[in-house]
Amino acid sequence: MTTPLVLGVLAGAVLSGTSLLYATLGETIVERSGIVNLGLEGLLLIGASVGFSVTAATGNAWLGLAAAALAGGLANALFGWLVVTRMANQLASGLAMMFFGFGVSALVGAPYIGSVIVGLPKWRPAWLASLPWVESTTLFNYDLLTWVAIPAATFVWWALFRTRWGLGVRAVGESPAAAFAAGRNPAALQYQALCSGGVLAGVAGAHLSLSLTLTWAEYMTAGRGFIAIALVIFSKWHPLRAIVGALLFGGTEALQLQLQARGSEISPFLLEMAPYLLTLVVLLAWGGSRRLAAPASLGRTFYGSD
Amino acid sequence: MKKKLGFIIGFCALALGLAVQPAFAQSPHLTIGAVYVGSANDYGYNRSFHDALAQVARDLPGVKVIEAENVPESADVERVMEGMIQQGAKLIFPTSFGYKDFARKVAKRHRDVAFEFAGDGDTEKNFGVFFGSTQVAWYAMGVGAGKMTKSGKLGFVLGMPIGYALGNVNAFQMGAKSVNAKVRTVVVVTGGWSDKAREAGAANALLDQGCDVVGMHVDSPATIIQTVEARGAMSIGFQSIEARALAPKGWITGLGFTWAPFFMDVAKSVMAGKFRGEAVYQGLGGMVAIAPFGSAVPPDIQKLVNETATKIKKGFTPFIGPLMDNAGNMALPPGASIGNDQMGNLNWYVEGVIGKVR
Repeated sequence: MTTPLVLGVLAGAVLSGTSLLYATLGETIVERSGIVNLGLEGLLLIGASVGFSVTAATGNAWLGLAAAALAGGLANALFGWLVVTRMANQLASGLAMMFFGFGVSALVGAPYIGSVIVGLPKWRPAWLASLPWVESTTLFNYDLLTWVAIPAATFVWWALFRTRWGLGVRAVGESPAAAFAAGRNPAALQYQALCSGGVLAGVAGAHLSLSLTLTWAEYMTAGRGFIAIALVIFSKWHPLRAIVGALLFGGTEALQLQLQARGSEISPFLLEMAPYLLTLVVLLAWGGSRRLAAPASLGRTFYGSD
Repeated sequence: MKKKLGFIIGFCALALGLAVQPAFAQSPHLTIGAVYVGSANDYGYNRSFHDALAQVARDLPGVKVIEAENVPESADVERVMEGMIQQGAKLIFPTSFGYKDFARKVAKRHRDVAFEFAGDGDTEKNFGVFFGSTQVAWYAMGVGAGKMTKSGKLGFVLGMPIGYALGNVNAFQMGAKSVNAKVRTVVVVTGGWSDKAREAGAANALLDQGCDVVGMHVDSPATIIQTVEARGAMSIGFQSIEARALAPKGWITGLGFTWAPFFMDVAKSVMAGKFRGEAVYQGLGGMVAIAPFGSAVPPDIQKLVNETATKIKKGFTPFIGPLMDNAGNMALPPGASIGNDQMGNLNWYVEGVIGKVR
């Protein structure tokens, strides 16, 4: 039985969009505090590798997930030490962190390549399974991370825009000097943003290895970290718009695979480029917009306010 | 201070040299170096070499194997091979296609070291080439898949549409069609040999479109086989026959490389000082083997696949004209045929395959 195209695309969009969403949320928090982390790709790899390794070693995917979250948080804390405490250049440090992530993930994952794991458990409520078409697809057959993805985005929105902590983070991202003058501690807030963002990036990586692929292979993220950085711009640094962005990009990827599976007449090479073409289009369309809404001090190092 | 440091380093080097000396005295008769582009335990291509060399080391006394994993297809591989030669390697297996030019350079510098390159190209006195010809063997996989499918739609996940891979797909479809006139093979290209998330997406897309058997040609079949297994469909494995462990329910069968007999011969000839570089291509029964069948495969289908395999071992090939491509053109005129050595030039899908090459 063939599934209608739109359902197939939707199913695929949710599966590959989940990790994109967590990664985008993580980077959004970090960038809201005024820090660009180009090392997101490396963070995803660390999450995927640590999550898989710990799961393979202990047989418990939840432990793997927790370890991946912790590793992501720690890696970003290290990045924070570089760019906040040592005031190193953010772009260069971010790229260095990316290559650091390549190396660390390869090292951690190497002994566990080829291990067979039981991934995160999936549930599909019976009343959803009885809907037409759903039975034969992956729709609504999700692990916990996918089920709570939208609530997680809402939570990040609430934390950033409805709490005193979020106000502080955003203030630091706009003007660390002003936040400092108002009695907030920019460095502490940036560390907090980095650690929570790192945790989310670790979770994003773990979703790839513990739910979607059930394997670990070097560089298996294949550029998804960079797509997530573009998604932050696409969503204009807003956690709720990130949901749309992640679904759209996941959907583009799913669409090209579904089109191939339906025997489309479009060249597979052209179809493969679709997600990256969309990235370019978004950056083009958003570029130069005055209402870009980027945090005013994004990428700038705060040297203190003497 | 500097002098003192130099002295310490010199002393350590000396001590190390002394410690290593006796090891050399009773060193094995042959040290084999193997270079892999991926990880040796990937349930796929690289593991097939690792397993074969482990068997050689077990069965041939005096053989020691040194392996280097995850070596990129760049000048790095030259340094890795030079290092192996310094460690005493007299036989080297550069196992990835992209190592070709680098391996040749190193072979020119070390005429006393034998090289066996997994790929194609010219041979030299100390440089042999070899590969397993999988294309015709996929015909037998097609027979199994064509018999097992209920929907009549087979899926195939392809890393990149290179000639050898297209040959696998074409033989798969022709084999399936020989037992099931209505069968179709749907191809999804991921664009890389190891993009795991996309492989999962590709397998899901094929299953969404009603395919119930999925084959693949990617580096490691692990993600695809597990994705297919989780959705209750069937799979045909490739690269390493050990991949069956990943699909206790849906495994039909698969093709794997069995290099050990050939490696054993090469190792023996190097030890005897009689190595000569040759081009060795073997199909089913030589470097390619059929994996054990899954529990879901009834005995009569197993028998049919085995009979097909026997036929192939005796020289049968489906690559004989007339063959139409999937756009309705005559791809291979009557009487013409494609040999194993010409598969790399294939650039069309046979009739019945749903997909585009470019």
